[in-house]
Amino acid sequence: MSIVTKFTVKRAEISVAIILALCSAALMMKSAENRITWSAEENMGAGFLPFYLSLGMLICCLLTIIKFFLKRSPQSQNDSPFIDPEAFKFVSVTLISLIVLVFSIGYLGIYLSLIFFLAFYLRYFSEKSVLFITIFSLLVPILTFLFFEWLLKIPLPQGISEPLFYPVYDFMYS
Amino acid sequence: MELSTSALLIQGIFSAFEPLNLGLLIFGCLVGLFVGAMPGLGSVNGVAILIPITFIVPPTAAIIFLAAVYYGAMYGGAISSVMLGIPGASTAVATVFDGRPLAQKGEAMTSLTAAAVGSFVGGTVSVILFTLFAPPLAEVALRFNAPETFALMVMAFATFVGLGGDDIPKTIFSILIGLALSTIGLDLITGQPRLIFFNLPGFLHGINFLVLAIGIYGIGEMLWTLEETKGKVQMSKLSVNLKEVGKAFGALKKTFLAMNIGSFLGFFVGILPAAGATPASLMSYGITKQLSKNSDEFGKGAVAGVVAPECANNSASTGSMLPMLTLGIPGSPTTAILLGGMILWGLTPGPLLFTQEPEFVWGLIGSLYIANFFTLVLNIALIPAFLMVLRIPFAILAPVIFVLCVTGGYAPTQSLHDVWLMLLFGFGGYVLRKLDYPVAPAVLSIVLGPLAENALRQSLILSDGSMNIFFDFAAKPIAATIMYIAIVLLIMPAFGPLYRKFFKKT
Repeated sequence: MSIVTKFTVKRAEISVAIILALCSAALMMKSAENRITWSAEENMGAGFLPFYLSLGMLICCLLTIIKFFLKRSPQSQNDSPFIDPEAFKFVSVTLISLIVLVFSIGYLGIYLSLIFFLAFYLRYFSEKSVLFITIFSLLVPILTFLFFEWLLKIPLPQGISEPLFYPVYDFMYS
Repeated sequence: MELSTSALLIQGIFSAFEPLNLGLLIFGCLVGLFVGAMPGLGSVNGVAILIPITFIVPPTAAIIFLAAVYYGAMYGGAISSVMLGIPGASTAVATVFDGRPLAQKGEAMTSLTAAAVGSFVGGTVSVILFTLFAPPLAEVALRFNAPETFALMVMAFATFVGLGGDDIPKTIFSILIGLALSTIGLDLITGQPRLIFFNLPGFLHGINFLVLAIGIYGIGEMLWTLEETKGKVQMSKLSVNLKEVGKAFGALKKTFLAMNIGSFLGFFVGILPAAGATPASLMSYGITKQLSKNSDEFGKGAVAGVVAPECANNSASTGSMLPMLTLGIPGSPTTAILLGGMILWGLTPGPLLFTQEPEFVWGLIGSLYIANFFTLVLNIALIPAFLMVLRIPFAILAPVIFVLCVTGGYAPTQSLHDVWLMLLFGFGGYVLRKLDYPVAPAVLSIVLGPLAENALRQSLILSDGSMNIFFDFAAKPIAATIMYIAIVLLIMPAFGPLYRKFFKKT
């Protein structure tokens, strides 16, 4: 049995509730860096609302945990895998490729990163020909460039690829 | 001189016919039909992903475009429900019940035409109701001050708890996390920075609602759909015969009851913040089935079973715009995003729009009449084209959506920090949704959060810090009434088990 199939809905429910409870507690502590008091004489402190909102979140998480142990939620009795192995491949590869995409945007720039992302994604998940993948991976970033840089005049990050765009800008604004 | 509603409506229709507005309206209808037809995409995903591209046009054209996307998606959802047996969006779930069996019997065109005409009837009735109800409601809302506004927002949140039908602690958690995220950044009154995690300067400008909306409805929804379909969506081979259009119109004569239930029920359910088009369509289907003389045909391919939910989801989508425009409270996740869009375009949502931005409001209302007609025509005329589009493998569509999400998340603030947050929210939203945490209340809360905090703090300044301002019938009757309704909604779920226990015992 793989780790993926061992991680059941039941385990996911309690793990997520505990993680969210810890995050709520951390949020309360972070809110307390500002004043969290409020009275008629003095205005509401900047931390008052976030503090009590995160306290409410913590209480909700504790209620979810209590419901879990009392077996009052459908998830607390569900022993099926949280995600099946084949779907896990799709979701995890997608997530990792998105993380790599956003990382690489800072260095390679968005257009080069998109070319690599699209080429990888289509090669991995679709059964299209290399020619189709090449054309598609070039076309989408070109359309993105035209839409954002030419139509909306919103510059997208170009990283180390910036010098490649100078002639294009010269042409666009000449 | 004050213009009558009919004069304003005519002006609005003329405004919608201006070349830019009309062009965007038709484009929006087409995009909406496409978005609605693709499994995994719905009006809310479409509107969230497309908001950043509206920065280039004036607000009226922008809202016309996005409303057309919203509208078109309601029509388009039926296409995949009928042809694939997979709802294009949750709003078209009920359409599968009878739409798919009809298609399997070889009457796909009857089913699709009935869905399109049903959508048109529901859309038209609801726009007329909208035109009648919006101006008086806006006039009443003009008298609202901070306490009434805050009470309304509390009621909007309470509706999710009372009527949402989801797990209560998880629903409240979703509301609270949206509100907590909306407090990140500089405090409105003191100007102090708050919740600046790891001292990252990106948090100083707060969290743009689009980051959460695109994260949850773009990235998260795509992950969900990839898991469900494993990248493959297969369409059954079904014969599409254009002669069936005429046959469908013949069958529609017997669906008067379904049209009435769908149109009127859909509109009023759509107004409620926690409800929207999905419960409206399911309720309409259920009630039509109960009241129909041929209820045994439902589920086996009854035309009325297609018409009722389609009338309702279109009617509800218009209904959900009523509180958005008149009260500044969205009636659905899609209108929550539209409301956030209005703030981005520099408008103040709420009743003042009717007096300060009549061109915007009436241009939108006028466009709804026209969009309804264009979507009907485009929907029926382009059915063969949409069937081709449905054959696009999801593995090709998904990366394009991801590109739109990443660029859409970056464009508003031009910060990679927001793109990272969007990814985080996307993954978080996907996991939470799998565990039945409702995500719509979080999106509504992050949009309404700053407005609610402002209204709360203004109210407390007015009352010298006393919370009684929200509960005092003598001083603030409207605020108090709304607040007590909100309290009833909040405690309502507690009575459900008690009621069942009592009746089980007796």
